[in-house]
Formats: sequence, C-alpha cells, structure tokens
Amino acid sequence: MSAEKVDAGVAGLAAPVRAGALVVCDAVSRTFRRGGVEVAAVRAASCRVESGMRVALTGPSGSGKSTLLHLLAGLDTPTGGHLSWPGLGGLPRERPGTVGMVFQGPSLIPALDVVENVALPLLLAGLGETEAVERACAALDRLRIGELGVRLPHEISGGQAQRVAVARVLASRPRMILADEPTGQLDHDTGDRVVSVLLETADELGAALVVSTHDAQVARRLSRCWRMDDGRLGIEAAS
Amino acid sequence: MNRIWLHGLLRRRAGRLGMAAAGVAVAVALLASLGAFLASSQASMTARAVRDVPVDWQVQVQPGADPAAVLATVRATPGTMAALPVGFGRADGLTATTGATTQTTGAAVVLGLPDSYRATFPGELRTLAGTDHGVLLAQQTAANLGVSPGDTITANLLGGAAATFRVDGVVELPAANSLFQAVGAPPGSQPAAPPDNVVLLPEARWQALFAPLASTAAAPDLVRTQIHTVRGHVLPPDPASAFTQETGAARNLEAQSSGSAVVGDNLGAALDAARSDAAYAQVLFVFLGLPGAVLAGLLTAMVAAAGADRRRQEQALARSRGVSNAQAMRLAAVEAGSVALAGALIGLGVAAVVGWLAFGSVNFGATTVSAVAWTAGAALVGVLIAAASILAPANKDLRWATVAAVRRSAEPASARERGPWWSRYGVDVLLLAGGGLAVWASSGNGYQLVLAPEGVPTISVSYWAFAGPALLWAGAGLLVWRLADLALRRRQLVRRALRPVAGGLAPTAAAMMARRRRPVARAIVLLGLALAFAASTATFNATYQAQAEADAQLTNGADVTVSESPGVRVGPDAAAALAGVAGVRAVEPLQHRFAYVGADLQDLYGVAPATITGVTALQDTYFQGGSARALMNTLAASPDSILVSAETVKDYQLHPGDVVNLRLQDSATKQLTTVPFHYAGIVNEFPTAPKDSFFVANASYVAAQTGSNAVGAFLIDTGGQNVTSVAQAVQARLGASATVTDIAHTRSRVGSSLTAVDLAGLTRVELAFALVLAAAAGGLVLFLGLTERRRTFAIATALGATRRQLRGLVAAEAVLLTAGGLAAGVAVGWLLSQVLVAVLTGVFDPPPAALTIPWPYLAGTALITVAALGAAAAGALGQGHRPPARELRQL
Repeated sequence: MSAEKVDAGVAGLAAPVRAGALVVCDAVSRTFRRGGVEVAAVRAASCRVESGMRVALTGPSGSGKSTLLHLLAGLDTPTGGHLSWPGLGGLPRERPGTVGMVFQGPSLIPALDVVENVALPLLLAGLGETEAVERACAALDRLRIGELGVRLPHEISGGQAQRVAVARVLASRPRMILADEPTGQLDHDTGDRVVSVLLETADELGAALVVSTHDAQVARRLSRCWRMDDGRLGIEAAS
Repeated sequence: MNRIWLHGLLRRRAGRLGMAAAGVAVAVALLASLGAFLASSQASMTARAVRDVPVDWQVQVQPGADPAAVLATVRATPGTMAALPVGFGRADGLTATTGATTQTTGAAVVLGLPDSYRATFPGELRTLAGTDHGVLLAQQTAANLGVSPGDTITANLLGGAAATFRVDGVVELPAANSLFQAVGAPPGSQPAAPPDNVVLLPEARWQALFAPLASTAAAPDLVRTQIHTVRGHVLPPDPASAFTQETGAARNLEAQSSGSAVVGDNLGAALDAARSDAAYAQVLFVFLGLPGAVLAGLLTAMVAAAGADRRRQEQALARSRGVSNAQAMRLAAVEAGSVALAGALIGLGVAAVVGWLAFGSVNFGATTVSAVAWTAGAALVGVLIAAASILAPANKDLRWATVAAVRRSAEPASARERGPWWSRYGVDVLLLAGGGLAVWASSGNGYQLVLAPEGVPTISVSYWAFAGPALLWAGAGLLVWRLADLALRRRQLVRRALRPVAGGLAPTAAAMMARRRRPVARAIVLLGLALAFAASTATFNATYQAQAEADAQLTNGADVTVSESPGVRVGPDAAAALAGVAGVRAVEPLQHRFAYVGADLQDLYGVAPATITGVTALQDTYFQGGSARALMNTLAASPDSILVSAETVKDYQLHPGDVVNLRLQDSATKQLTTVPFHYAGIVNEFPTAPKDSFFVANASYVAAQTGSNAVGAFLIDTGGQNVTSVAQAVQARLGASATVTDIAHTRSRVGSSLTAVDLAGLTRVELAFALVLAAAAGGLVLFLGLTERRRTFAIATALGATRRQLRGLVAAEAVLLTAGGLAAGVAVGWLLSQVLVAVLTGVFDPPPAALTIPWPYLAGTALITVAALGAAAAGALGQGHRPPARELRQL
C-alpha cells in the first residue's frame, strides 16, 4: 500500500482524528511471503499514538512487535488497513526528524565515528555541518557520553552503542520515539539505564515513546502496555 | 556438514561465489588462452619458416667426390622428396655490346640448372623480362651490362676461352643470399653479399662449358656441384624440436656420405630463426599475459575480501556452536574448492572458445604433453588463487581474529592513522627505483633479450629483463595505494571534491571513505592496474602493428609499387598515366641506380625530396644526423648532398660535408662516370631499399649528372584503401612491362613469423581480457563494496535519507573510484608502455621513434569502465529500493 493510499484511507476514517494523534493505525496488516507461504506478522492492528504517551509494546518473540514499530515509523508498508500520521504532517520518511527510531541490533554506521553517527540524521534533514555537529555533541553530553565522540562503533560497548542511538534520537528532537527491544542485548543494569535515558529524552522533548520489550520490568516503567500475540494487538488500559 | 554448508552457500551466497568463480575463471581463461596462443604461434611459426625456404638443402659435393653418387645418396635419404644437381662455375667477367658501347663486368657466377629446376624450386627464380627458360641473367647483371632479352653477352672463362650467349630472359633471385652461400663455412665466414653478376644456363650448356674444367686439377674451387633438395615437411610443431630433428637429419646425411657431401641446411637455418621467434612469443606471454593473470588473481582476492566480514561472522557463529578449527577450515575449503572448480571449468571453457575464435584451434599446447601441462597449469593457478583468496584469510582469521580485534580496539587513534607498514619503509619507492635500474640495464644498447646463436641448439631468454617491469608494476601499484591513502586522509580536500556529487552529505561521504580508505585505495589500485594493463598492452600492440606496417611499407615502398624492368627506360612523366587509375591518390617516381663507391657496388635511390613523404612514411628512426624532414630539406636545398649507410660512413671515415665520389653509369656512353656528392647524413632504412648499404640522393641531381631521368619504381599512394584492386588495375594498364606489388601482399610476406601471423590473435585475446578486467575491477569491486554496506544504506534510509541523498553517497564513491582509477591507469599505463617498448625493442623492426597510442581502444576501455562503474552504482542503489526495515532484518 502506498503512502498516498494510506493518507486517502485516513481521510475516510469514521472516527474523527484528534489533534494529539501522531499516528493512527486502523486495522493495519502486514504479511510476508516466505518460501511461497504467506506469513502474517501483523493482523488488523488498530491503535493510535498520541503526544506524550509512554507505551510498552510487549509480546513473545515473533509476535510482530518489530513489524508494528516499523509500520508506525513508516519504514515498512502495510499490506492491509489504513495508516496515517496526522500529528506529524505525513509519512515520516518524507519529514526527517519527526520520528526517532532506536533499533534492536547495532544501528550505528561502522565507518562513521560516534559524533558523525549522531549528526547524520541532522545532515539528512538539511542542517549545516557545523550546527549538526554542535547538536550531536550536545546530545552526547546530555547523555553523559561525550567522551565517546571520536570513537568508532566497533570501539564501544553494546550499552554505549544503544545510548549513542538514543543520543541520535535526542539530537533529532523527534515528536515520536520508537525503540525496538533497546535492552534486548544488554545486561539488566545497562538496560535499565538505557530505558531511563529514553524516558528522560522523551520527557525533555515532550515526545511520545513506544518501546517494544519482553522484559516485564521495562514494561512496568511505561504508563501503557500494548500486547502483541501472533500478530494481533491488544491494548490495555493506561496504568 | 560440508554438504549442508555447501548447500547453504549455493542458496544464500550464490552471487558472491559466482563473482569469485568469475575472477578465477578470468585468470584460468587468460592463461589457457595464452597456452593456445603459444601452441598456435609455434605451429604456425614452424609452418611459415618451412614455407618460405626455396631450397631445403644445398648439398655441396666435395672435391673429388662423384656428384652422381652424392645425388643418389641424397635421394635415398629418408624424407627427401626431390633432389636436382646444380652446377656452379665461375667466369672472369662478362661483356656486352649494345649500340656503340661495350660494357664489361667483374667476375661472374654461371649456374647450370636442370630443366625441371624452376618447377621443383619455384621460389628460387622470378622472371622479370623475357622467357622462363634458356639463358637467363640476374637483374643486377642485366643492369650492369645494360642488356635486355634478345641482346648478346660474352662470358670470359678460365684460360682465356669465351662463350657467347643470347639472353632469353632477366630474372630476380629472391633467395640469392642462401643460393650463393659458402656451404660448410661458419656463420662469420659467409660472403657479405651475393655475387653482382650471375648467368643461368641450361644444364646441358653448362656441362659443355664447365665439365672439362671440372676435371682439371686447377679448378676445384671454380667448378662445383650442389644437390638442391626438397624435404618432406613432416616436422614437430615446435620450431625448436623441428630444428633439432631437421639438423639431425642433415648431419646424418653427411655421416652417410662419408665426407663426400656437406649440407647447406637452409631449412634448419629457417627453423633456427623461428626458434628465436618462438622464444619471443614466450617472452610476450610473460610480459603481456602474466600481469593479466595476476590482476585476475587480485580481482578474485578483492571479491573474496568484500565478503570477508560476513565470512568471519559465519565462521565465528559456527565456532560458537562447537565447530572446531579443523572443521572450520574444512568449511572454508569447501567454499574455496567450489570457487576453484567452477572457475577452472568456466575458464577452460572460455579459453577453448577464445582459442577457437582467435587461433582457429582449441588446443592449449603444441603437443599433447604441453596441452595437458597448460590445462593443468591454468587450472592449478585457479586453485591457488581460490585458496589464497578464501582459504588463507579464513586460516588467518581462525588464528588471529580474536587477538587482532583486541589489539585493534586497544590501539590509539594515532596508531590507526598510520599507513601500511610498507609505506613507512618506502617499499614502493624502492621497488620503483629497482625497476627503473633493471629496465635501464636491460634496455641498453646491445642488450639481447633472446639469444639464439645461429646453429647452436640451445636458445636463451634473458628472464632477468622481466625483473624491471615486474618491479615497476609492484612499485607503481603500491605508490598508487600510498597516494590514494594520502588523498583520502585529507578529508577537506575529498569533501570539496565530492560536494558537487554528494551535496550536503559530502562531509559524511568524505568521512566514510577516509575510514574505509584501505578497501577504497585497494579498489583504486586494482582499477588503475587493470586500466594500465589494458593501456600498456594496447599501446604495445599498436606500436608493434605500426612498426610491422612500417616494415611492410619499407619493403614494398608504398601502398602500391611499380618496379620497372631492367633495360626498360621510363621517365617520371609516366606518373601522370598511373595517376589516372581509379583509387590512386598520388604517384611518386623513385630512381634506382647502381653506384660504385670505391670497389663496392651499392644501390642508389634518387628521390624528389619535397614530395617523397606524400606517398610513403619516412620515420625519423630511418635516419641519423637529423630528422627525416630535416634531411629531405637538406637534399632539396643542396641537390648534391647524399645520405649514406652507417657502414659506409665507418668504412670510408666520412664526416658531414665530405665529398663522396660515386661512379654511375652515364646514359649516353653507358660507361661509368664519376659524380661528386657531399655527405649529409646517415640513412639506415628507406622504402624499397635493401637491408645492406645504399645511397639516397636528389633525383634531379642524379638525372642531370647521368643524363637520364629513368625511373626505377613508381610509389603509389591509395590512402591505404583497396590496395589489391588498385594494384591489379595498374598491372592491367602496364601489362608485362613492369612488376606491380601491393602492401597487402607484402605485409603477409615480410617480417618475422611473430609479426604477420600470431600477434593479431594475441592482441585480440589480450585486449579482450584487459577490457574485461578493467570493467570488472571497476564495476565488480564497487558493486560488492556497496552491497556489503547495504546495512549502512538501510540505516541511512531509516534515519531519513532520501533516494537523492543515497544516490549522492553512492555516486561519491563511484566518482572517487573512477577518477582515482583512471588517473592511476593513465599514469601507470604510460609508464609501462614505455617500459614494454624499451625492454622488448628486439621484437620491433624497425624500432619505433615514438609510441603509437590506440586512442579508440583506450577511449572505449575508459567508457566501458565508467559504464561498468555506473551500472554497479545503479545496481547497488536498486537494492536500496527495498524497505529499510526488511534490509535491517535480513542483514
């Protein structure tokens, strides 16, 4: 489904879009074809993310959490349903900096040092080099990892890399932060610190935060919990 | 487990395996094709050497021996197809009276030929005027005596007897040097030139004159009999083996004849020369072929290295699952073996097709043994390349990966910034200096790359000469690496250069390339060397072809040449009639006379200095003491100036401006008259002139001094077009009064066997492989490099990179690689072209004054390389069209 079709779908929604809704999913599905077999990663998921929301997206491995986050970030295209970003003004990919994504695995570019990695989305958004670097350094300092600036990704630890990824999000000042298993490859204490940083960043930016995790302790630190099970999304009440 | 691993590789890494196999296939195909080239060239060299021998053996009957007995022995010798006796007698001189004048020559040789001689040995005589039989005069003799068919001459025989003959025809003796050789004399004792005066008589008349003399004790050296022999040409295809077999047969005959016969082995001598050409073919193989094979190996290594990180990860994963080091090596061996097997099979298949297309044969060797050896050797090289590219890095990773990773992470940034170890020690500069010295030593005056002493069975090739180009190759490659590394470190410079392509992402692109400078520099080196290989090979071949063409033009004179028959006097005005023939652009008369300097008789060519260059190319290397243009200007400005051979300058101790008195035949009196010239320069080569000494003078001056403007030849320019048909039209217009030759025919006749037959095939093969290597070095390396960084581009896309921005990042790398590779290719290609021509001077005849640059091929190579790079970049971008989420999941 193309972005144009998505937007057209949004216009046809029965329910009125509230001003705070950054992204609206209406019966969104995503299926993949693997070896000639259709695999449904997300089945008719409906949800909306509003400014300031703190959402834990939980569920077992392979339940479709990452796919849903990628759909919300506009990095993937739904095969069914309607998806729109009314609070962001359109497809995030066409509006760099509106959505910040922290990926599950290593997401730093190996050939760029830490500062360059953090500055990259800013350069892609059209900022000048000097300003981009200043903002990147500020974000790193904000997360107290400024000393890592000249290191290359392979020279820092996994926890440091995830914090750099968060700094990259912070520097972009997005309105919605999506974190895909940010603590999945980290020990408990490091993971805890990364979640704290994410929460602080979201608070500072006033951004919505959606974190996929199967760590119950991480989920408890967020005000809402959405559960994915075999591609189906269940939304629990806010705590 | 090996089967599962292989199955997985084929399913998941088929592209990478295929590209590595393609690299191996290029190396195998190139080597096997060169084997086909050597097989084809050796066989054709032998065939060509044999074809051009007019008389295989000249068996000299020794004094006191019975010629009939020797003839019977020769005919009974295995391999003899035909044998005829030829009498050699000597006359004190010849005399002819034409009109009111009488001309007399010095000593003459009188040959007695059986009636069937001309049919048995068709290459020995060529009729220029008159009939094919009866009393025949050699061309120069007819000119000396001023006679033509129908005139009468008198031979003054020993003891004061004289014999008078009516001349029936005038002939050319194309193989006079071998015909009049001193049979049995060592190479250094052979006559410097064939006799000036030769009369050919029917056997019966010769016998009547000379048989009585042969029986006298005083005449053993004056009357001789030779048995001219045709041999069956069932010889090994390799010239060296053929030479050994043929000379063995000749020695066997001498042994059989118990000293009554000595064999003048013309066939062996021709094969002796072909051995030298075969050695040069091997030299060319080493110079032109091995760099290509090495490049193909490097390309394979680059392809394999592009997947090294992934292989390392897979290997680490396998080890973490309990795979032992030995098992991990076996898995790497499975990959290397698959690549080697596929590459070798594809390569041999390609070589078979190439051999069939280029050489008309699918043999990889001249003999079965050598064919098997070449096939196995080429396949073995493929195996070695695969092992070195895949197995060796895997082994290194197994032993050192963990330690290396720790060390790398502990390294301070300053240590990472240091260049490779060889650059710190200046190895590139040392290699270049060593290569320069070796080239200087091996291209000096008198240096013989191939030494094939006449008559000696062994032949030596100075493989030391290969050291120079090899060191220069290596040094230039490392220097390019150093320069690329230095340039990539200067990020400000790189980002400024990339800003037009990458826009606002130029700093990011510069940073990426600075961090990846090792693979980027390697790619620039590989592309540069591949382009240099293409450029140097093409330039060498173009220069070689140009010189072969110059050789053909030197021999024939021009596109079409009309040689007037002796005794026929045609003035320069006849040029107008020839100019009217369709296809003729220009006609230039060329005088041909014979002139005595001291006691030496030499050819003299009278030219119109202002116009001679309009129909034939005069290269500066043909002359000494000035350029071709300058010396022609001298002849025009000072009509009595003359150009002489270096040998004459040495023999007569001439200095510029010295008077040279030549004796030329006066047209009116038919007597020799002294004509003064002034020595102005040295001429080594001149169109239609012989290899030995000759003169070049102003035609107007010669005509004025001798009273005759008779022309010896007309040089016709056709612009290189339709030479054969123009020659036929000219011949049709002139009838039998003149001989017309064209450059196409001459081209196939002159030069070494290497020139005319084989290098064209080698050229096609080399240039095709060079093109493939250049395109692959650019396109494949860029594509693989970009493919291995799909994750980088997926992350960039996830972070908001637009298609345009991604295109800018990819294009930046492609532009940098293209610019660096082309610059390196031009510089190294120029250097290696100069070196190849300098070191291989021995294969050029005449030596070139300057390189011939094949611009169309070079431009085509550059365009195809750029297109390959563009296609690689586009292909990599095409992969970036997939949703980044899917890319990030899969990578």
